[in-house]
Amino acid sequence: MIRFDDVSKRYPGGHEALKLVSFDMGRGEMVFLTGRSGAGKSTLLKLLMLSEPLNQGQILVGGRNIHRLPANKIPYYRRRIGVVFQDHQLLFDRSVYDNVALPLQIDGYDKHEAARRVRAALDKVGLLSKEKLNPMTLSGGEQQRIGIARAVVNRPQILLADEPTGNLDPQLAAEIMALFEQFNQIGVSMLIASHDLSLITRLRHRILTLEHGQLIRDEHHPSRSGASPG
Amino acid sequence: MNRPANTKGARRERDRRIRINAWASNHRDCALDTIRRMLAQPVATAMTLAVIGIALLLPALLYVAGSNLGQFTDRLEATNRLTVYLAPDISEQSISEVREALDSSELVSSLQFISSEQAAEDFARWSGLGDVLDSLADNPLPAAFVVQPSSADAGALSSLQELLNGLAGVDLIQVDQRWLERLAGISRLIDRTVMTLVVILAFAVLFITGNSIRTLIANRQAEIRVMDLMGATRGYMARPFLYMGIWYGLFGGLMAWLLLQGMLLFLTEPATALLVSYGPQYQLVGLGGTGAAVLLLGSAGLGWLGAKLAVSRHLRALTRS
Repeated sequence: MIRFDDVSKRYPGGHEALKLVSFDMGRGEMVFLTGRSGAGKSTLLKLLMLSEPLNQGQILVGGRNIHRLPANKIPYYRRRIGVVFQDHQLLFDRSVYDNVALPLQIDGYDKHEAARRVRAALDKVGLLSKEKLNPMTLSGGEQQRIGIARAVVNRPQILLADEPTGNLDPQLAAEIMALFEQFNQIGVSMLIASHDLSLITRLRHRILTLEHGQLIRDEHHPSRSGASPG
Repeated sequence: MNRPANTKGARRERDRRIRINAWASNHRDCALDTIRRMLAQPVATAMTLAVIGIALLLPALLYVAGSNLGQFTDRLEATNRLTVYLAPDISEQSISEVREALDSSELVSSLQFISSEQAAEDFARWSGLGDVLDSLADNPLPAAFVVQPSSADAGALSSLQELLNGLAGVDLIQVDQRWLERLAGISRLIDRTVMTLVVILAFAVLFITGNSIRTLIANRQAEIRVMDLMGATRGYMARPFLYMGIWYGLFGGLMAWLLLQGMLLFLTEPATALLVSYGPQYQLVGLGGTGAAVLLLGSAGLGWLGAKLAVSRHLRALTRS
């Protein structure tokens, strides 16, 4: 599903954020990306979202070299990818509902179908009752769940998350991760950057470790796909 | 894959229809949402519209002035009359001699006599200064012949002038055309000025809308960045700003039109009085339907273009590097 071949990224000014990173991630896989701050986790995700150009190597998603996509194809590529941000990036000038509906509006859904999907996504994250509120009035954990609902409302094949639990206490963080596992179980490929080692080792998924821009460890854990859904 | 082709085709057709509907409703939403945003900031909106309106008022006003003057110059070709003023103390005898000389000349196609009494009457009527004339002991206005030459040819005109100069009792020959020629010159000058002003002020409108749109984009940076990452196309992200530009232009143009109508209303009475004094065929003309349409469409177009320029510069800076 996602394949990195000797990918390097140097920022203007000379900082080398990624050095010859290569890995392969299967369809429906759930992978954690860890390392200290500045190890290159966010850069790796940005390269996948096409919000930064790369300097060397190639990234294949579904077999296509995404950094060779013509500019007018980039929006359609991005619609297939859900993104969850650490600071959730919600828009405070509109309701919870309108925040979640944004990707569907962009994709040109008809209003009834969009409403159905928005409610399904909000139901999934347990916030259906708050659809009319402004996200500013909600707690950090709730805001992050809205961010997740927005990321999955378009039923993406791939979900990327950059420190999705960075601002949350351990219990909320565990809840968010459980939510991600549920999406993974319905077939969404997941790449989640997190520096919370104790949390992610407990979850027993594959873990990629970055250090100074290099991939230094790639640990596979037994899949939990046999576990009964919570 | 195994589904029959017609079902698949039908589904694709349905998807296409849904997409077109969504696209149309996105346009409608953008158009309405931008108006709501304008109303939400009434002071800022009013100031922008006023600036655009005033910028557009100037060329519109000059255009109207030009078309009012044009009423006179349009008749320029038709009139090359001469007015032949007679000496104040001329006798009836001399007047009929002049009349005979002119009547018999091939150079004259028609002739009209205005006695000094009639001249005084006319003057009193259109100047409103009848009392002044009454207070004078003698009527100071001379009698005159208005001569329509049979040919506009320069040679014919100068031989006519020679003939007139040779007649006893002729005091002054005035070519009516001259003031019309000057008027035509003024009118051409106004036309040129309008053209120059239209170009300059079109740029002003571009800059005003461009600058307002730039501010709006800056205020919505977060939204644009998020939409960009969610796969919004440039066109989708630009759409609300382009509508904003169109509204700025259109309502700014409407503002200019209203200001112009207000001014014309205020000027109607004195302007009509002045114009009618030149003859009943002259009336105060406004911008007219076509002029108003050109003003509104032109200003909406300029607003759109200003927004387009601002959007292509600033969206590029905000989205993918």
